[in-house]
Amino acid sequence: MNLAALQLLRLASPSLPIGGYSYSQGLESALELGLVRDSRSAQAWIAGVLSGPLARFEAALLVRVWCSLNADDTSTLVALNARLLASRDGSEMRAETEQMGYSLRTLLAALPEGQGRWPAVLAGGPVALPVAWAVAAFQLELDAAQAVESFLWGWMENQVMVLMKAMPMGQTSGQQLLSALLPDIAQAVQIALTLADEDISNFAPMLAWVAAQHETQYSRLFRS
Amino acid sequence: MQRDRMENCTLESGWDARLELAYARREACTIPVHRRHIGPLRVQKHFTEPSGVCQHIVVHPPGGIAGGDSLTLELDLAAGSRALLTSPGAAKWYQGFGRRATQRVSARIGAGASLEWLPLETILFNGADVELAARFDLARDAVLLYSDVVCLGRPASAEPFAHGCWRQTVEVWRDDALLWCEHNALKGDDAQFSSPVGMDGHTVTGLLLWAGPALPEALLDACRAYPCVGRAGVSQLPDVFVARCLTHSAEAAQAWITGLWQQLRPFTLGVEAVAPRIWAT
Repeated sequence: MNLAALQLLRLASPSLPIGGYSYSQGLESALELGLVRDSRSAQAWIAGVLSGPLARFEAALLVRVWCSLNADDTSTLVALNARLLASRDGSEMRAETEQMGYSLRTLLAALPEGQGRWPAVLAGGPVALPVAWAVAAFQLELDAAQAVESFLWGWMENQVMVLMKAMPMGQTSGQQLLSALLPDIAQAVQIALTLADEDISNFAPMLAWVAAQHETQYSRLFRS
Repeated sequence: MQRDRMENCTLESGWDARLELAYARREACTIPVHRRHIGPLRVQKHFTEPSGVCQHIVVHPPGGIAGGDSLTLELDLAAGSRALLTSPGAAKWYQGFGRRATQRVSARIGAGASLEWLPLETILFNGADVELAARFDLARDAVLLYSDVVCLGRPASAEPFAHGCWRQTVEVWRDDALLWCEHNALKGDDAQFSSPVGMDGHTVTGLLLWAGPALPEALLDACRAYPCVGRAGVSQLPDVFVARCLTHSAEAAQAWITGLWQQLRPFTLGVEAVAPRIWAT
């Protein structure tokens, strides 16, 4: 086993200390509203996000961020970060990506692999999580595909953990759900790696609606 | 000059239309200072609100947009000017027969100026291949209120949007920094139309954006509470207020957006909402 494979496992681990466990990305609200109520509806919800705005926007831009780092193209890097931040459709989603981006940046600065290598053009102002993720993957010597695979896996495992806490869903059911959704991750990775610029799409109006409902949800475990 | 575009659109090359409009403030009133058109895109005579806001109705006399057509609208609002633009009816984008139709709207809004961009709904006929792009460049403390209602297919005629392509981008910039963007690229058979996180089976989507000072909490609550026959939600982001609805009718989406606009206007513009008379016809 080479070092890159181990770095991939580490980046994709839910114990990566960037605070992902505190966000549901609208899923808690979807549960409250009854849009997600069992394994089947949970699978449809998660697969919808994955094949929609996640693959076609965040992950597709993450790939482009990785490529801009690889090409040392700082102006594209800055523009992609601005676009990722500007694409957030609700205040909680925006706060989430900024907080997790900041935490990952702070973590990287404390690791020997990342020390002193944070891109100078991203030094001031907020950084979107997919940008910080691409920087981390790049510094851990992972390629663009591994960067996206780890990002999507980390996201999905977190979504399933939200279900275990808030639905609640049993651990075995959670693992069965992961089995059912793994092919969707593989497909999303392919979409992200090959998507043409004109097909980039972050349009997910029900997700935006649900995320907006979460802002005023009375009882909540998660920050989004 | 009405023409039946469904009959002859495969026989002709695309129809290009371009309209340039500029506004400036003269004492308390805003007036149009430049008007230039090429092809079938015009404005009617402007109307000045008691507040001095200039209302303009953009008309597209052919009554519909066919494959290969392109519409370009360039707006320039000088510092301190205030304009409201709308349209007299739905924009109908017809079956494209394999050809894409485009619309590009770009607006430069000077310091202290305000643009209200409030067109009536866009209807995408089954088979339409459409690319809609809107870009707003705000200087310093300029403000923007933007609305947009898109109807997919014609459900009343049992014509879903099963084929074709709907591409739409909206970008709001301030002093060369991107504040908000949405990118939409959905083919007629895209799973996002039925996905629980996408359109979830709705056929109409509405969007209202406000780029300006953040709404006070009480106004935000009033917007949240404003009734909609459909799903509606709002959020105040750092630079932009976003309101969105999903419905099954253009009327429901327009009613919600107009209602929100009326709630917002005393705050956003400091004046009462004066609905363009064309909306009542």
